Amino acid sequence: MIFSKKNIAIISVLIVLSAATYLYKEYYRKPADITNVQPVAKINVAVIVDQYQRDEAKANQQYLNKPIQVQGDITEIINQQDTLINVFIGNTNSVHNVSCLLDKRHFSAIKKYATGQQITIRGICTGFLLDVELNRCVIVQDNEQ
Amino acid sequence: MKFLLSLPLFILLGVSAVAQSKYFTKAGKISFFSKSSMENIEAVNNKVVSVLDVVSGQLEFAVLMKGFEFEKALMQEHFNENYVESDKFPKALFKGTIENSKAISLTTDNVATVKVIGSLTMHGVTNPVNTTAIITIKNGVIAASSSFTITLADYKITIPDLVAEKINKKITITITIPAYQPLPAK
Repeated sequence: MIFSKKNIAIISVLIVLSAATYLYKEYYRKPADITNVQPVAKINVAVIVDQYQRDEAKANQQYLNKPIQVQGDITEIINQQDTLINVFIGNTNSVHNVSCLLDKRHFSAIKKYATGQQITIRGICTGFLLDVELNRCVIVQDNEQ
Repeated sequence: MKFLLSLPLFILLGVSAVAQSKYFTKAGKISFFSKSSMENIEAVNNKVVSVLDVVSGQLEFAVLMKGFEFEKALMQEHFNENYVESDKFPKALFKGTIENSKAISLTTDNVATVKVIGSLTMHGVTNPVNTTAIITIKNGVIAASSSFTITLADYKITIPDLVAEKINKKITITITIPAYQPLPAK
């Protein structure tokens, strides 16, 4: 008998356990590592900054809360004692650049870079203040571009 | 929201004005905390832009709502989608004035407690904010911090009925500016 009381009880317990496991994992889920996430756009700093300056609402429609990949020269690396690393890419003479807050899981990857070097960074676009802002950033290696 | 978009312009205009009195930072920190019976809600944004004019006492902060980071992804998604609607209202802005800005002396190391009066615009709603801030001058570097509490309903942020009784309706906002930099002259 497939629908015996015993089988129904076992299936019910499995369903409840599966649901509880799913809810537990979902509740404690950390923001995702975007290393293997395909960006919606691959773009250089000057272009995205120009798009935001021309029409911020339109640029937000394209990029806000989405993974984007930006290429440019490092203008500054701010490392707050390895608790927070922010990499600015663009042009030192420009007021507006791209500001990339690194994902803590990828801090070590920035150690081999210095100001003036070209870099490609992927991050989640959070909008535009003085700079185009990216969070949860990872450094894209040459062979991944 | 038009006013919020004027921040870069405000700064650019500031460059051509009396540059030596104006200071800015792109690395301010705003965190908020709400204690409740269900769970504590805590988030931080480390990319706060702020401009301070030590002569006039004018003070401005701008922050991107999607820049708030939570420990739990689900909480971050709920914050953006259900509470602050950050697709629709991507920025929050505080604009105010330090009442007794003359208490700030840049020439000697000191700590001054100042009164700040201004308005906070968030979720498309503007409300007055009166608070105190601590301005610290050390080796010529200006740092600042402040903390105040807001009521979510004042900003038309609604809590879903299912959890309404278990979520605190007030949140404490803490602002920390580790170091203002002089606004570079053109």
